[in-house]
Amino acid sequence: MTLRILLAVAVGALMGMFILPQGALAYTDLVIDIGLMLLLFFVGIDIGLNRSVFGRIKAIGFRILFIPLAIIIGSIAGSAVAGIVLGMPFNEAGAIGAGLGWYTLSSILVANYSSQLSAMAFIANVTRELIAFIIIPTVAKKLGFLEAIAPAGATAMDTGLPIVSRSTDPETAIIAFISGVICTSAVPVLVPLILNL
Amino acid sequence: MGTRLIMYLAVIMLGALVGARASLGDQLKKRLGSIQTACLLLLLGVMGVKIGMDQGVIDSFLQIGYRAVVMSIFTISFSILGVLLVKRFVTGGSAK
Repeated sequence: MTLRILLAVAVGALMGMFILPQGALAYTDLVIDIGLMLLLFFVGIDIGLNRSVFGRIKAIGFRILFIPLAIIIGSIAGSAVAGIVLGMPFNEAGAIGAGLGWYTLSSILVANYSSQLSAMAFIANVTRELIAFIIIPTVAKKLGFLEAIAPAGATAMDTGLPIVSRSTDPETAIIAFISGVICTSAVPVLVPLILNL
Repeated sequence: MGTRLIMYLAVIMLGALVGARASLGDQLKKRLGSIQTACLLLLLGVMGVKIGMDQGVIDSFLQIGYRAVVMSIFTISFSILGVLLVKRFVTGGSAK
């Protein structure tokens, strides 16, 4: 699966760079939206076919919240350590990590602070999303299903969800969606907060 | 974000209703995985196209790509580590 994901993104990127006319860019968002809706519908069918998951989710209860919390804290801590490696101040590196893969919003939120940091936030979070797509199946297989939610960050509620769902089970897909919603809600609060430290 | 969230939730719930109530044929159930994989790869391909066509992204990636990769690897690794640490508490040790 990992290789197929890598190939799909690479072939798409090469087609975008060298083959397709620039006018096609206008339609990519629409195609992505339609494809995403179709995939989320399939995720729903999977969940519907395994109704027992709701009982298990109910049993876990509020403890599900520890997953997005761990992802948020881990992402910020990881970016802070990366900042030390790259010679960046804590607030700048931490703000990039707090983007949690939501590249459009995180780059906008830091744009007023610095245009260079805005570009870095955008590229680092695009890269996070791409790396997440590639490694989620391997993380699910080697480390565990819940760990496979972590790379997706905020995208676990949309673009990352179909990959988590294909690589894990319906129970993990529901937890991933909840985690993605919480991470997504945290980004607009955390990025400015950390940037102003 | 609010509208999108409601839309995603509605689509997933619609799928769940179809999965739970409609009598999907065994043949279709067996093929569901392959259909999902095909759609997923197509979606990722189009996302790749979007990135490839955006000259700004390509230029920025060439300039600060390695820093972005370092940043991404650390954020992903630490977030996985975070989940590893809380996993036992969340599932009571029964998770896969």
